[in-house]
Amino acid sequence: MAIEEPEPNSNSDPISEWLASTLSDVPSFFHEPYSYTDDLNFYAEPWWVPDQEDQIVNHNIIIDNTCNSFNISSPVNTAINNIPLEPIILDHPQPVDLSKKRKKSDQNPKASKKNHKLQVNEAEHAPTIVDQGGVQLKKSIGPKRVTTGNNSNNKEGRWAEHLLNPCAAAITVGNMNRVQHLLYVLHELASFTGDANHRLAAHGLRALTHHLSSPGSSSASSGTIGVTNFSSANHKFFRDSLINFIDVSPWFRIPNNIANSSVLQIIGEQDRLKNLHILDIGVSHGFQWPTLLEELTRRSGGPPPLVRLTVITPTTENGELTGTPFVIGPPGYDFSSQLLAYAKAININLQINRLDNFPLQNLNSQIINSSSDETLVICAQFRLHNLNHTIPDDRTDLLKILKSLDPKGLVLSENNTECGCNSCGDFATTFSRRVEYLWRFLDSTSVAYKGRESEERRMMEGEAAKALTNMGEMNERKEKWCERMRSAGFVKAVFGEDAIDGARALLRKYDSNWEIRLEEKDGCVDLWWKGQPISFCSLWKI
Amino acid sequence: MATIVDETISDFDCYGSLSIASTTITTTTTATTSSSSWNDWSPVFDWDVFSGGDNFQDLIESMVQGSGNCFYKSEHQDCAEFMEEEEESGDSNNNQSEDIDGLKLVHLLMAAAEALTGVNKSRELARVILVRLKELASPNGATNMERLAAYFTEALQALMEGSASGTLHTKHMFSPNYKDEHRQGDVLAAFQLLQDMSPFVKFGHFTANQAIFESVTHDRRVHIVDYDIMEGIQWASLMQALVSRKDGPPTPHLRITALSRSGSGRRSFGTVQETGRRLTAFAASIGQPFSFHHCRLDSDEIFKPTNVKLVRGEALIINCMLHLPHFSYRASDSVASFLSGSKTLNPRLVTLVEEELRPIGDEEGFVGRFMDTLHHYSALYDSLEAGFPLQSRARALVERVFLGPRITGSLARMYRARGEEERCSWGEWLSGVGFCESNISFANHCQAKLLLGLFNDGYRMEEIGTNKLVLGWKSRRLLSASIWTTMDIDL
Repeated sequence: MAIEEPEPNSNSDPISEWLASTLSDVPSFFHEPYSYTDDLNFYAEPWWVPDQEDQIVNHNIIIDNTCNSFNISSPVNTAINNIPLEPIILDHPQPVDLSKKRKKSDQNPKASKKNHKLQVNEAEHAPTIVDQGGVQLKKSIGPKRVTTGNNSNNKEGRWAEHLLNPCAAAITVGNMNRVQHLLYVLHELASFTGDANHRLAAHGLRALTHHLSSPGSSSASSGTIGVTNFSSANHKFFRDSLINFIDVSPWFRIPNNIANSSVLQIIGEQDRLKNLHILDIGVSHGFQWPTLLEELTRRSGGPPPLVRLTVITPTTENGELTGTPFVIGPPGYDFSSQLLAYAKAININLQINRLDNFPLQNLNSQIINSSSDETLVICAQFRLHNLNHTIPDDRTDLLKILKSLDPKGLVLSENNTECGCNSCGDFATTFSRRVEYLWRFLDSTSVAYKGRESEERRMMEGEAAKALTNMGEMNERKEKWCERMRSAGFVKAVFGEDAIDGARALLRKYDSNWEIRLEEKDGCVDLWWKGQPISFCSLWKI
Repeated sequence: MATIVDETISDFDCYGSLSIASTTITTTTTATTSSSSWNDWSPVFDWDVFSGGDNFQDLIESMVQGSGNCFYKSEHQDCAEFMEEEEESGDSNNNQSEDIDGLKLVHLLMAAAEALTGVNKSRELARVILVRLKELASPNGATNMERLAAYFTEALQALMEGSASGTLHTKHMFSPNYKDEHRQGDVLAAFQLLQDMSPFVKFGHFTANQAIFESVTHDRRVHIVDYDIMEGIQWASLMQALVSRKDGPPTPHLRITALSRSGSGRRSFGTVQETGRRLTAFAASIGQPFSFHHCRLDSDEIFKPTNVKLVRGEALIINCMLHLPHFSYRASDSVASFLSGSKTLNPRLVTLVEEELRPIGDEEGFVGRFMDTLHHYSALYDSLEAGFPLQSRARALVERVFLGPRITGSLARMYRARGEEERCSWGEWLSGVGFCESNISFANHCQAKLLLGLFNDGYRMEEIGTNKLVLGWKSRRLLSASIWTTMDIDL
């Protein structure tokens, strides 16, 4: 069986420009689950290698013979040439209960690899075409992962919190002897390398000492020995690291994937010839969009005549945002030219409008220059939780503003965590929430990077650790967000089966402690790690 | 009146000579706070806030008072106290980095104890702290705190492993630990060193003996029931005093009944008999009329007064030496049975030597007791170091043979009791069951002072009440000797 694929024009120079810096990486996130066929040949036939001119990709997937391996383990930043090509023979491909395979794969990594390929192949049979009702997987029998022993949220093993939280509590009650005692101990056990607990202790210690020396101020001075974050990275390193992170961890990849699927879903409901306008209020620093653009080229009837991307970069003026993880890239970083080049390479008419340092509250239709003959989709990802949510309630106000832009859809993705701001509890309470957030991140990155130390891992973790020193507004529970959305006049929309199945298929690439949970009652797609909620995605309409 | 010490500092061949070296070290009492020097690890944080900047102290105090949480109020002070004392001990090599290392160890030990038993118990945290402690501490370390921390770490490790398997067995991290496992030669050498290095053993023996000596001035027959006779060294000095007493009747007949325990330990029946033979020989050599008996304790070490043979006309003395650095632990049930049982025998005098521990409130629990024990042994170590500053190998031997096992043992008991054991001293207990204080004589007091004068001037002696002398190191009380009598005698 051969599947026809669009042939990317690998002849062009712009694409090599876009990819030049990422050659050593595995930008497989460019290829979301719809394109598994692509992924399967991805390594064997690197169409994107600039010096391979005139290469025409012939995607042959031979189910009952051999196919090239899709590297599910995806080691950190290793040369893609090293990936072994394992033959897999599937004489009688049969539908297999996915959850059973999952269990098996947990026991046997080898089996996992093969099973994965099996799943991938099945995924091809699964409906990649919208509206093909018959083959859809039912939500209820989706690959629900079993929470096993190592899966459980075992607080006992999390020793760093047994020092950090009491220390924060002692600071709160002003017991300086206790504070100093715990700081001594933390100092002895903290390390920016090693297992997640040592790292958490190190970041926590740094945050606590920062709090003690300048209480109330939001961001710790960056450049402290051993801690790097986005602000101190050079552009290439930043880009490489983020690409790799998106590849090794679903932390952002799943929300990005669902957002992209949602965009496709929304424009699928609209006139095919309408322009697409995306309002990007996110933290993907552009890395989310190549995938979407590529999906658009595969859309039946081709991409929209014009794709407009309006990027609202965060304001750095008030300082609050600089303390929020993942929001601010390195100074001067701009992905526009590369993305434009990439779009050109795949024949998409892309327009990027960047609103730098623009306060979200000032948004209106004129500013983003939207018109009624285009399909406006707002992607608000991990950004709105910075806004004040008490008095004044900037969050709700902003949602009302977004509604006034009259979008055809709004994708909201946020951390599904209690707020860590000052008005939501005393220092001890909010600090422990922020520590909890960071713990999940560090615990998941130690799996994502397979325990290996690297500069980029340190940078990603250093960026996440800003959560500890960020005294400003941060996070909110999913339920509260949904309430806000409704009060602003939005109506919950249901994700299409493709969005969910695609996300699930994609998640199989990752550690089995990750899971996607569907809440029937609120229609959100939640990402969980070790039985704890990480983030949620929701789709809204007016 | 003659004192024991005068007469026994002469040679005493049977047990080796008392070579008392008086090594006095110049003490530097610079009150540098250690916190200011190690702020280099965190450029962000200003450690000066802890070293009492202008109004910060007031601020903290007001905050602490306002917090209503006094449970942990003193922990850093607790930790810091060690180091101040260590600094006082004034080894001129003692530089600041050593203090900081020491302080670090104290904090880690405390945190490990907390993690094992505190409100926020976390075995994983305890495990990680112990791993770090093992990196930092060593029984052969250069500083007292390193070596001390090694034993405390080992003890905590044993508690953790024991609590994991539900039993408390000691698995040794270092060389064999219990003194019964040591070669006999090591034990004797260590005991001799301990005798020479510190006044602890002699303080206990001499104070008790002086009181005994004074109470039997006019007696022809003296009977001493000894709870834990060990090598019997205490009685050699008493015999010498008795044979040379000038006034009163001629040298009285001395009878000693030593309690013996079943089992194969060092103080089993055979050992007690051996001690008896040696004492008999020594008594004969100096012309002291003497007889030796032993009285077996039950299998659970319970004392039965009826097993002691009494002879009419004897002055009965009850001698109870506990907690001397080289002694084994005795179960409190056993001690209690001995002391309460002996009351029915109407003794003329009870001599008691025990270690001094700070009374710990229930709310401080295991961690409080743990810290007090650490404090106690830290002072003990420092005193030994001051006595023999250059003989680190000798000290290491004493520590390994006697002190290490005691640390392990006492922490295990504390842990088992979960900080709920009663912690009154045996002196209080005696008073509680109706014994009366018997006055420590001026001579006895002077003798103790004289003894301490032969050692480092860091040793302190204080008299508490009328019947108790306490030996301490710097500000820490370590060992007390007290004398008691029954009502009947007083009346």
